[in-house]
Amino acid sequence: MRRRNAELAMMILAGVIAVGANLLVDFAHSSALPAWLPVYALLVVGTIALTTSVMRRFAPYADPLLLPVAIALSGIGFAMIRRLDPTLAGPQLAWFVIGLVAFCATLIVVRDHRRLEAFRYTLMVVGLGLLLLPLAPGVGHTINSARLWVRIGGLNFQPAELAKVVLATFLAAFLAQKKELLTIGTTKVGPWVIPAPRHFGPLILAWGLSLAVMVFERDLGSSVLFFSLFLATLYVATERAAYGVAGLGLFTGGTLFAYHSFSHVQTRVDIWLHVWDRIDGRGYQLAQSLFALGTGGLTGAGIGQGQPKLIPFASTDFIFSAIGEELGFFGAVAVLTAFGILVARGLHIALRARDTFSTLLAAGLTTVLGLQTFLIIGGVTRLIPLTGITLPFVSYGGSSILANFILLALLLRISDGEGRSA
Amino acid sequence: MPQLVLTVLKYLFIVLLYLFLGRAVRVIYLDLVGPRVPRPASPKVPASEPAKRKRQAPRVLVLTQENKEPQSFPMNDQPITIGRGSTCEVVLDDNYSSQFHARVFPRDGSWFVEDLGSTNGTYLNRVKVSSASPLAAGDEIRIGKTTIEARR
Repeated sequence: MRRRNAELAMMILAGVIAVGANLLVDFAHSSALPAWLPVYALLVVGTIALTTSVMRRFAPYADPLLLPVAIALSGIGFAMIRRLDPTLAGPQLAWFVIGLVAFCATLIVVRDHRRLEAFRYTLMVVGLGLLLLPLAPGVGHTINSARLWVRIGGLNFQPAELAKVVLATFLAAFLAQKKELLTIGTTKVGPWVIPAPRHFGPLILAWGLSLAVMVFERDLGSSVLFFSLFLATLYVATERAAYGVAGLGLFTGGTLFAYHSFSHVQTRVDIWLHVWDRIDGRGYQLAQSLFALGTGGLTGAGIGQGQPKLIPFASTDFIFSAIGEELGFFGAVAVLTAFGILVARGLHIALRARDTFSTLLAAGLTTVLGLQTFLIIGGVTRLIPLTGITLPFVSYGGSSILANFILLALLLRISDGEGRSA
Repeated sequence: MPQLVLTVLKYLFIVLLYLFLGRAVRVIYLDLVGPRVPRPASPKVPASEPAKRKRQAPRVLVLTQENKEPQSFPMNDQPITIGRGSTCEVVLDDNYSSQFHARVFPRDGSWFVEDLGSTNGTYLNRVKVSSASPLAAGDEIRIGKTTIEARR
């Protein structure tokens, strides 16, 4: 079934949301229509025209909701970023355009995602290479005590963001080939019958390396993200609950080890448990985030009318708190629902897929997207200890936008394949 | 901008957000129930038809899966298990099927179908199978997205 008209209608609404949110930023301190309005409106119309026509031409049977929801989230995010730090507006807009180009390019170049399956070990090497890049002398770069960055010609880039898409593809391809070997037990260990250990080789190599690298680069969020991506894809592939239980055990062990060995992990947990005692020091940021969410109330202060600038790093990690303050509970719930729709549609695509690789790829990409959202929103609302990671499509950050638009294009490509053969 | 206008705009923006989400939910809903197809006008005919038709013993199960050639399985006095597990007689490639989903077996000269505690259920002519139900030629067993027809 083609649903490009439903998509177009949703895209127009998303465009109205993007322009509206940005207008409200300016209306908060002036009554005149801002001078940038025609330029921005043109950009939004251009975005809609470009993406929907690429979809019509190259992915006519794809899901009609993913793209509009992502565009609406980017629009709200851009308004908040402009409002929090106007100097970031230019770079964010440039990255958004680069993200769109990457989105269209992915849909045009990758005509059949199943051909990616053949490149499994190339993808593994590229993914791990991207993770290792920040540790390389010369290009690697440390910002805020995390060695996550690569600087090339004045541009800062976080390769881990792209690595999550590449490694999700590797995992799907690897497990699609080996799932039987990993499902059926052949070797006896005590009372259990487990699959032959040698089949786990590449998996453990990639798993261990990505976690080790993340530990060296002091990036907690990505460590948890990669660990969960491996576990989720393995579980979907084998349908063996034992992997889930074993993974939970490994996770608990790993967490305890990290807590006892790394001071920055202890700091995060300490802030999480005792935020009000640390309010004048390390807990200041999280406390401000909670104040912002509380101040927002049900309907919020209105875009441009709150004080979210009081939160350090509000435009990246803490953007959800800024949204909570200015759009209130209803706005925050709307943003959460939007992410819920992305995840639900992603899993729907995974369930409908006819071959194992497509199922695993869709499930893996959706896990990345959903878990990242959970980790950062859970962190800024003090549900779980904070792990610095971006909110997909919303936060400021070039690598994040680029990676998430490529991820979106891959999900749409899989869902187009399903609709085509139906 | 006067505060009053700002407040009105603030509420309008939230309404706009929910309009957008409402439309999205509508698309999801239509996806679940499928596009509206006019129902066949006479509900009496299908209800009375099976009673009139002579119920004959089936001789073969015909499995039709998406993108695959139909497969036939002869029914000769042996129970036939259906499911995703590779040891089943009828192996399904269907994400909605359980490993051992259903069983078709003979008893006292007639054939029956029963569900083996599957996650998503087994349907016989669109009715959920709760206990062993008699199976006649022309009946249709549905498991997940797969249909299996009993034929003579």
